[in-house]
Amino acid sequence: MSYQAKKPATLPPGHDPEFSRRALLAAAGALGLVGIAGPGRAQAKPFAGKTVTFASWGGSFQEAQKVAYCDPFAAASGATVVQAGPVDFAKFRTMVQSGQPVWDVVDVTIEFLYNGAKDGLFEKIDKSAVHLDRIDPLYVHDHGVGDIVWSYNIAYSTKAFSADNHPRSWADVFDVKRFPGTRTLRDRVAPMMEIALMADGVPPDKLYPIDADRAFKKLDTIKKNTIFWETNSQSQQLFTDGEVTCGLILNGRAYDAIKKGAKIALEWNQNIQSVDYLVVPKGSKRLEIAMALIDSMTVAENQAKVANLIAYSPTNPQAFASIDKEVAPWLSTNPDNAKQGFIINAEYWRDNLQKLQERWESWKLS
Amino acid sequence: MGELEAVLNHPAEAGPRRRRRRLDLDLLLVAPAGVLLLVCFGYPVLELLARSVLEPTAGLDNYRRLVEQPLFVRVLWNTVSISFTVAAFCLLIGYPVAYTMASAGPRLRRLLIFIILVPFWTSILVRSFAWMVLLQKNGLINGMLLSLGLLNEPAQLAYNRVGVIVGMVQILLPFMIFPLYSVMARIDPLYQRAAATLGASPMRAFLRIYLPLSLPGVVTGTVLVFVIALGYYITPALLGGLGDVMIAQLIQRQIGDFGNWGLAGALSAVLLAGTLLLLAAIHKSYRLGSGWKR
Repeated sequence: MSYQAKKPATLPPGHDPEFSRRALLAAAGALGLVGIAGPGRAQAKPFAGKTVTFASWGGSFQEAQKVAYCDPFAAASGATVVQAGPVDFAKFRTMVQSGQPVWDVVDVTIEFLYNGAKDGLFEKIDKSAVHLDRIDPLYVHDHGVGDIVWSYNIAYSTKAFSADNHPRSWADVFDVKRFPGTRTLRDRVAPMMEIALMADGVPPDKLYPIDADRAFKKLDTIKKNTIFWETNSQSQQLFTDGEVTCGLILNGRAYDAIKKGAKIALEWNQNIQSVDYLVVPKGSKRLEIAMALIDSMTVAENQAKVANLIAYSPTNPQAFASIDKEVAPWLSTNPDNAKQGFIINAEYWRDNLQKLQERWESWKLS
Repeated sequence: MGELEAVLNHPAEAGPRRRRRRLDLDLLLVAPAGVLLLVCFGYPVLELLARSVLEPTAGLDNYRRLVEQPLFVRVLWNTVSISFTVAAFCLLIGYPVAYTMASAGPRLRRLLIFIILVPFWTSILVRSFAWMVLLQKNGLINGMLLSLGLLNEPAQLAYNRVGVIVGMVQILLPFMIFPLYSVMARIDPLYQRAAATLGASPMRAFLRIYLPLSLPGVVTGTVLVFVIALGYYITPALLGGLGDVMIAQLIQRQIGDFGNWGLAGALSAVLLAGTLLLLAAIHKSYRLGSGWKR
């Protein structure tokens, strides 16, 4: 098996402005037929009196998903959407093993999608019920539909470095002489292997299979200058307090920190994209309604609403038509940003995470 | 908070005779809690332990992996040494506080209890983040030390072992103070006065009378803090450096990332067995050592 980094540089037709108006009209037509996002349409509500449980990560993200996806779906279909979470993969596995999953639609990471698909934790996505054609094919999987894209980015303190002379590549982040100060990276073997290899000069399309020896050797060079973050809030805190001068942060977290006044800026070069997928736990008793809820999450306007609320990037290219101008530059699937990055190879990590994660933990202690 | 029950259930209470007479009633009283523990705690723990020898294949493979991988041994050692250090610091800081509480008037005592309980109302996560803000390079503590001229450059207080210990000691301190206090409050002040009238210096009276009498509290508090610390997860993750991995972090990743219940079960079994051994050892010396009895 060859592991190639998927590079969304060749854009699907939807990204092309010439196509977008026609595609938008087509999408709007589809919407009218399905009748899900069309408010106030007097027609039979297919799921009146029924309940479906949606589990996600809590906080402002789940609130945005509720407002953008669940509420319109509930209004149009008559179903009650129960909000649950936060997502916990141990809980997810236990639920499926018990044969009585409480959750019906769950927002999971790309890593869990690939691991869980291997372990048979998900129902197959029903292609007749979900408009997969609305989604960029890069984000469609047999067992899950990508709902948002986010990315690992280089960020730097604007107090420490100027716009003209700041870390522009992972090699710069690893260069403590040119760019002094403490940096922060993630305490996780994925994506640290990719980052270390890029810092050592490996081009994105040659990253997989990972040369772990080379990556760890490169990581040795900045081990003493780095605080490794475990949670996203921690990365945000480190940048906000000026504890670090540059390093790794998620695009949405940088957006949030900057909105709150943090003196940092984001670099899009060599960004690593990751995807959240919507899945249905194996054994769900409410399959039909779960698929219908997922379908409402493919609608461009709904995805745009999420992006406008929380700056997570849409998987439906048409959504950019309704996304605010101030938000668009922050989004990973914005063509300008997407072409500078690549999607993390979750298939590679499914097969190698266990082994490399143990090596990562050992490296930390060495 | 569940751990507090253990504090209140201090063993050094009723004498043996009284105990025997009330045995039936005692059984009845603990029955609801006992059943709850068995069903909601005992059963899942047993199931997890069973998985350690059943998954992915029956046998001791998981345990062999634990022994063969130096990583797991080192993380276990980390866990024990961090927990021990935390318990020791809690004792050093908590003993004088508990002593003051026991000997103070009711108003000061109430104030102290209030101050010690206040942190309980804040989640561990929030407190760990607060420590991050306090301890980091341009944090409050470094800022103060720098402006006072006590330091020339910021000290590394967070993202290393120091940060982990400071954070955990602050969070676990009440679990030391309350067992100590509950024992000290029952020490009759007349004993020390009697020692003084017999010519003992205050130091000698403390060392020969008060300290031995307070030892049951010392043992309970230390064991409690040590055992709770063994399972710590978020504080070392936020305040620790690269090397400060504790076993709970590994267990969580094994289950969450890989669904590897077997290896997680084996890690838990080792942690549980170690804790039980330690408790048994302390229980034994607590009974045998003449100075440890009341």
